[in-house]
Amino acid sequence: MANEKTYWKGLSQLSGDNTVTEKHQHEFAEYIPVEQFMGDKATLEQSSTSRRDFLKFLGFSTVAATLAACEAPVTKAVPYVNRPEEITPGVANWYATAFFDGHDYAEVLVKTREGRPIKIEGNELSKVTMGAVNARVHASVLSLYDSNRLKGVTTKGGQSAKWEDADKVIGAKLAASKGIAIVSSTIISPTTKAVIAEFAAKYPNTRHVSYDAVSYSGMLKANRSSFGMAMIPTYRFDKAEVIVSLGADFLANWISPLEHARQYATTRKVGKDKKTMSKHYQFETILSLTGSNADERFPVKPSEMAQVALDILNGTAGKVAADGVKKVVAALEAAKGKALVVAGSNDAALQLVVNEINKKIGAYGTTIDTATPDYTHQGDDNALKTLVEDLNGGKVDTVIFWNSNPVYTAPAALGFDKALAKASLKISFAGIMDETAALCDWVCPDHHYLEAWNDHNPRRGHFSLQQPAINPLFKTRHAQETLLLWAGNKTSYYNYLQNYWRSNFFGMQTAFGDFAQFWNNSVHDGVAQLRPQLVVAEEISQAPPVADTTATNPLSKMLKSGMNLNDFIAFTGGTISLDEAKSQLASRKGGAMEVVFYQKTSIGNGNQAGNPWLQEMPDPISKITWDNYITMHPLDVKEGNFFGMVEGSDKNLMVRFDQMEDELSVAQVAVNGVTVELPVWAQPGQKRGTIGIALGYGRKGAGKAAEGRGANIYPAVALAASGTMNYEAYDAKITKTDKTHKIAATQTHHTLMGRNEDIIHETTLAAYVKDERAGNEPIMLETYKGKTNVEEVNLWNDFERPNHKWALAIDLNSCIGCGACVVSCTAENNVPVVGPDEIRRSREMHWLRIDRYFSSETVKEVEEEKGEMGTKELYRNMENPTFDNPKVVFQPVMCQHCNHAPCETVCPVIATNHSSEGLNQMTYNRCVGTRYCANNCPYKVRRFNWFNYVDYHRFKDFNPSQDEVGRMVLNPDVTVRARGVMEKCSMCVQRIQGGKLEAKKAGVRPADGSIKTACSQSCPTQAIWFGDLNDENSAVAQMEKDGRKFELLEVVGTRPSVFYMTKVWNRDDSSAHV
Amino acid sequence: MNSSRQHARRTGIALAFSLILSLFFSASVHAQDGKALFKANCSSCHAASEKKGTGPGLKGVLDRIPGGDWKYKWVKNSAALTASGDAYAAKIKAEYNNAAMTAFPQLTNEQIDLILNYAHEGEKTPAPVTATDGGAGTKTEEKASGNTSFMVIIILVLLICLIAILRYTKINLRNAVNEKEGQPQEESMPFLDAVRHWMMNNKRKVALIGLFIFGVLIVKGWYGLQGVGIYATEVKKDKWVGYKPSQPINFSHKIHAGQNGIDCKYCHSTVEKSKNASIPSVNICMNCHKAIGETANPGSKEEIAKIYAAAGYDPNTQTYDRTKEMPVKWNKVHVLPDHVFFSHQQHVKVGKVECETCHGNVKEMTVAEQQRPLTMGWCIDCHRKTNVAMEGNGYYTQLHEKMKEKYKGQKSFTVAQMGGIECARCHY
Repeated sequence: MANEKTYWKGLSQLSGDNTVTEKHQHEFAEYIPVEQFMGDKATLEQSSTSRRDFLKFLGFSTVAATLAACEAPVTKAVPYVNRPEEITPGVANWYATAFFDGHDYAEVLVKTREGRPIKIEGNELSKVTMGAVNARVHASVLSLYDSNRLKGVTTKGGQSAKWEDADKVIGAKLAASKGIAIVSSTIISPTTKAVIAEFAAKYPNTRHVSYDAVSYSGMLKANRSSFGMAMIPTYRFDKAEVIVSLGADFLANWISPLEHARQYATTRKVGKDKKTMSKHYQFETILSLTGSNADERFPVKPSEMAQVALDILNGTAGKVAADGVKKVVAALEAAKGKALVVAGSNDAALQLVVNEINKKIGAYGTTIDTATPDYTHQGDDNALKTLVEDLNGGKVDTVIFWNSNPVYTAPAALGFDKALAKASLKISFAGIMDETAALCDWVCPDHHYLEAWNDHNPRRGHFSLQQPAINPLFKTRHAQETLLLWAGNKTSYYNYLQNYWRSNFFGMQTAFGDFAQFWNNSVHDGVAQLRPQLVVAEEISQAPPVADTTATNPLSKMLKSGMNLNDFIAFTGGTISLDEAKSQLASRKGGAMEVVFYQKTSIGNGNQAGNPWLQEMPDPISKITWDNYITMHPLDVKEGNFFGMVEGSDKNLMVRFDQMEDELSVAQVAVNGVTVELPVWAQPGQKRGTIGIALGYGRKGAGKAAEGRGANIYPAVALAASGTMNYEAYDAKITKTDKTHKIAATQTHHTLMGRNEDIIHETTLAAYVKDERAGNEPIMLETYKGKTNVEEVNLWNDFERPNHKWALAIDLNSCIGCGACVVSCTAENNVPVVGPDEIRRSREMHWLRIDRYFSSETVKEVEEEKGEMGTKELYRNMENPTFDNPKVVFQPVMCQHCNHAPCETVCPVIATNHSSEGLNQMTYNRCVGTRYCANNCPYKVRRFNWFNYVDYHRFKDFNPSQDEVGRMVLNPDVTVRARGVMEKCSMCVQRIQGGKLEAKKAGVRPADGSIKTACSQSCPTQAIWFGDLNDENSAVAQMEKDGRKFELLEVVGTRPSVFYMTKVWNRDDSSAHV
Repeated sequence: MNSSRQHARRTGIALAFSLILSLFFSASVHAQDGKALFKANCSSCHAASEKKGTGPGLKGVLDRIPGGDWKYKWVKNSAALTASGDAYAAKIKAEYNNAAMTAFPQLTNEQIDLILNYAHEGEKTPAPVTATDGGAGTKTEEKASGNTSFMVIIILVLLICLIAILRYTKINLRNAVNEKEGQPQEESMPFLDAVRHWMMNNKRKVALIGLFIFGVLIVKGWYGLQGVGIYATEVKKDKWVGYKPSQPINFSHKIHAGQNGIDCKYCHSTVEKSKNASIPSVNICMNCHKAIGETANPGSKEEIAKIYAAAGYDPNTQTYDRTKEMPVKWNKVHVLPDHVFFSHQQHVKVGKVECETCHGNVKEMTVAEQQRPLTMGWCIDCHRKTNVAMEGNGYYTQLHEKMKEKYKGQKSFTVAQMGGIECARCHY
């Protein structure tokens, strides 16, 4: 069965607008900006620099340069005075630590070179994240070297101060304080909670407010209603055969996305021995990363989600997405005990109904583990509300902010900044001068997590230790130490932590008889599985709510009782009954235009918005970088008359797409009393009548990379009557403005010229079970010998690969398009950040991109059978899908390391050539920059250094290697490329060389999996595998023999070393297209 | 008359020049001779400093010995002088364990003067790193050539000033004469105008000077281009051979690796573990030098004191003060460009290459010196000739069989045959 689906990357390609296509054929600008360069004629004539002057300068500079070049510089070598025992210059050290920023949790390994952390990778020992790391965690190493970080104690107005002075002044004020509130994002560190408890013991009028920018209060409330305890269970997607998500973006953002992605992938992988897959249904408003991976996706409005949940619970299809509900109900019924329903909403009523559904389908105890609660999201929306009331009422006059930025993230309606102004003492532990810190009297910066000790207890029984990988770069201090000091305890936090582990956790294990051994082992592994003392749930749920902040603080009580402090989530939101929930949901009314506030895969909740790696990473769906925007259904865009889209039929909707690419119309959105202006982006797959806006933009003080990017939409988040933040709004107004905004998208770059049948192979599970080559039929070419398999047609001689034959296998079935590999590759290979201007010129430097293809539905065979359309019309229509629900396929593309590489034959200086191990080598010092290779590459994976990105002032605000501190993140094993040379994926040849050397030293062949490229190492779903095809037992060798193996543009005959595996969908239809 | 005056002036200038030049040269020639003679005859017992050896240190010797012929008599035959009852001679002999100084009857009086003048001045030592001046190591960073070009520039500026002053004086004098003689004042032309005027009138000379400067620049430029790697010739290949930068500490490989036979890997300890062999950290030096504060080698105490200074070590109290630590800034001798990734462990541990193959005869070097070109051509040449040590290494076992099959009759294979001259082995 031939695959007749048409793929399109971006709406312009779809609409077939010639000007756009033409524009894209010219990747490089033909317009030479002489005018800009020379200035206008008048100024030129006024200028006193004559031609002769110019020649003089030229002559002088040549001579000067020559003279200066006569003497080669003296290179210094400065060895250590005392070389630390564990450091071998030139060899990386790895330290296990843990990342938690109140949003993402990951157990990681940090690679340090000569004492500098340069790379984050997953800790395979982790039972929580299982070695998976996402883009945000990868990029966190760059946040360490952010020169925007505070260099020491800072007072209001940015004056620097001394720690001693701060301690003295603050200590005196604290003693006189009427009420102290510590506002933090979720804290999962038991020892930190003990520190807070000790602080609260010294200052009894202290309360601790857990407030998360992106809150899960609704779930806490629903679970308290269902189980009597405010907690979030852990989800086991790996045990689910049917997965139903009601707007939960569980692969990118929801609760524990890394773990979910890894679990999800295990159910999606197929192979010789496993011909089953989970089936994934998604109801959602915007096209999310998770939704784009779903087998069946049903766009619904946010207000309709309630009805969908009720319908699924009742087992009756109603008006909303009836088709979807019907399918889901049947599937859930058939897979009882092996199914899972999750909802992304922060509405307790909806979550309670979802709990009921899960009870009904027997999910508890199988796919949902309530015995192992997840502690990573304890934010209590109601507590923040109470705090604002108490600030206004004068009950609280001192506020301490810790990894929390409510001035930026709190709803405008709450009036947090006004209430804060009434406090007499405001302290922040923020590492940068963020929006809240800017209003504080004292900023006492905490260490970056790579400089600090801490412990984490992400879920019951799982503990991890966070150890510093570098000495503090600036005069910062453990926030815990600061609190202890203010409480009169002068212990260092390291000692405090160790003591806490000695007295509390040492007894929870039996493997080690000696504490030093236990401690060293825990620090070494980074993780510890401990059996906590049984915590009686009833006892805790009966504990007084934390808002009661007098001496009966539950934390102090628990500290005394010796219980694990973290096993209790303080929650003041109350409960809700099922009937109440049902009636709330049934009465929900929608508006004409509804809004979803979502998190991007790259920026998340915005706390790392100043990180250039994350800003430059294209959004997996829109492929837009460096910006925030409004996503809308294309027809809504037309009706709103954005981009002048009024003429013509719907099918020719996108005639003005060329304008969209650069100049988006700016619209004004008024929602919940907040007005923002953002550019409008037409997003296929979005529900009609809805708007999507990402959180985390519009930062102030977060660094050059974040400054002035997009608008902050957090203030529009409403604190619902039920006491939880609502990341949806049911009635918004959107109006057109006259403004336009230039946007930088990688979306329509690198088109594969419509040769679609060679790019993505896909099939359905049913077809795959019958024939493992389904969707991957061999390509037959007409030759003089008759029809011949393309594999046998060869223009070139093959070469031997006697030693190794390196290859990358990419399983499209597991790839979820999250982009972790992109950031990992950037970190490993010193890929420069180029900023939005250059991206608009198609000059992004990422060695690895993830192509995202939308598919359309017009099927050639069907239409030909009908015979109603002429050929031209047919092809035209094939390019015109419905915009409602396109299928999405992701395909990571890096250098394919062709064994018959087109780039190699055109290089005039042989700067690119092939190794005997199958690598396409790029030699920078030989390259003269003709760019012939890039022009001849069918995959468009070569990148040209148009500028000296490490020096040229234009990239000062973007490229971290221009920063004195930022450049410390560079990997010393990879050359920083100069201007005028070509670069591309090297298949991490530095890692290959290193791995081979280790094997040679040990006198063995390198074991399969001992060498990993940055992308294969960092893939949370293990979609990318690296290995040696000459090693018959290697995973890649096995995958190469699999029926799903295909090569990108196989018909071109490039014989790549990178190959892909057919994407298998678990869909009902007999064909892959839906 | 006019011409004769001009002629006279020219001769005068020429004379003055040659005089100055001869002064310069003669001085340096004498110093050279004195040093050479001192080294050849005296240095085994005497130092050209205040340090005592077998005999006294000779710095400032002329101030303390009796005048007249005493010095000649003493050097030519000290025993005879002592026997003659000379008081100073007897005193010296008693001071140095009654050992008589070797007689040097072959030396002429002039030679003895040269020697003593040299020794009296004392040997000029490079700027030392001392305990009191921890950062002094940086002072040696200035390049010698930088100094000379700086000097040339200063001299040029001075010359131009001189010409301007002389010209001004000349005009004033002539005007004074003219005034006296009642002739009209010569107009005082600005200097630059005067130069231009002169240039207009002396086009041929200007052309010659211009041509000369142009020629100098061309030659300079040619070597300059070579220096930045615009072209590579045999000249380039040898350029770095013999590169022997001065070091903040006068460390001698000859003494350590040669005479004392210390294994290279004792100090360059990471050579088998890392791509870097590592310049040893000061604590490795201290392993031995904590006990060895001074040796028989001249200057050893001062040099070892620099190690103490770097380590923050006080030899008197035998304690370390970490706050006084100051890393030694060595001048790198073997410098590879940044785009080359060379691994010592690959070559030393796996390839079993001897250190001397690339670093030359280190055991004979008093100052570390580059003896191999370390160019890419040189690397590749070696990779083409050297066989891979495959025997006994499990990594190669299968591959070796395969290769033997492919190249029938050949048993060992060069690095190049194994792909060892492919770009991405070193460049990535």
